[in-house]
Amino acid sequence: MSSYHLSTRERLLAIVNDIEIVAKELIENTIAPKAQKMSSADHTQLVELLVLKDKELKSTLQLAADQAGIEKKMDALREQVRKQDEEINQLQKQLKEAEQILATSIFQARQKLASIAKANKRPVSSEDLIKFAHRISASHAICAPLTWQQGDLRRPYPTDIEMRLGFLGKSDLNINGHNLQHPSSLNEMHRNAAAAASGAAGTGGEIPVPSQNQFTWHSSGELHMSMGAGGGSVSLDTRAHKDASQDDVEVMSTESSSSSSSDSQ
Amino acid sequence: MDFVETKPVIANISEQKLQPVEIEILPGVYDIIRSIEKDPIDNTAKQKESAECSQKVLELQRTLEAARNTIRKLHGIEYSKEEQLRRLDSLRKQLALKQQLIKKYKNVQF
Repeated sequence: MSSYHLSTRERLLAIVNDIEIVAKELIENTIAPKAQKMSSADHTQLVELLVLKDKELKSTLQLAADQAGIEKKMDALREQVRKQDEEINQLQKQLKEAEQILATSIFQARQKLASIAKANKRPVSSEDLIKFAHRISASHAICAPLTWQQGDLRRPYPTDIEMRLGFLGKSDLNINGHNLQHPSSLNEMHRNAAAAASGAAGTGGEIPVPSQNQFTWHSSGELHMSMGAGGGSVSLDTRAHKDASQDDVEVMSTESSSSSSSDSQ
Repeated sequence: MDFVETKPVIANISEQKLQPVEIEILPGVYDIIRSIEKDPIDNTAKQKESAECSQKVLELQRTLEAARNTIRKLHGIEYSKEEQLRRLDSLRKQLALKQQLIKKYKNVQF
């Protein structure tokens, strides 16, 4: 059959067209005048052809029914394939996620290992760390003193007055032509400033002058702690070469309730 | 074989053979030819007969058109049977491959 490559639908439609043509021929032959009628042999052939086409139509319809059954199976298969596709996609997503998480973890682990190796190359004793931490925090650069109130002149940074009392301030003043100020203790300067301010403000709202146990920076660059209202100050040597003061600092570091955690181990 | 996994699933679908669509064209043709061959002598009968005849011809045309529409609506006949069976086979293989893939990756020991 030459139509084997055609789809079943095309075959069926072709058969129906053929039946139509043959039926038309037959009917036209029947209504034609006797002169134009075809021979009985031709007529018989036409009729046989019509019957044959009808049989072909029926067999092709049966084939179509079979194919419909196969199509149902294929639909079921396609549904299963679709489910598998979904599952594969899901699996792929999860694997991708897992890969990302693993890659991040490995990266972070490598970084940690590198920092551990780096730390192990140059170990630092915990006592040194605590010592330096104490030095940094003791000057109230990190946290205000407990007695600090609004209006207190103390600052976490060296103030104007302190700068002027320092080495740089003293050397510059000479150059600029200002008179070299008499080196006075910082406490006196504070008290003067406070007195001036309180004088201006009146009796109410006095700025409290902290005079007990404050850490201040002195002109020589040393940390001084003032004891009591008498103005006496105890110098705290923050330099490392003096053993005695170093002992003091070390003692202080162990006695003070430092909030720093000892995780330098 | 992995195909065995898929076959039982397909077998669950009802194996009832679908009945073919009934298309009858020959009776209509036969009717028309008989009415033409009757050829009554009586004029009124003749006219009546010819009217009936043309009705039958129209009826035949409608039957043919209905047959074509039914054929167009049928499912599963986009391809010839051989082509369809080839596609069925490739679908089965595809399903088996995908099931294998999923099984392989689910059972991987990391």
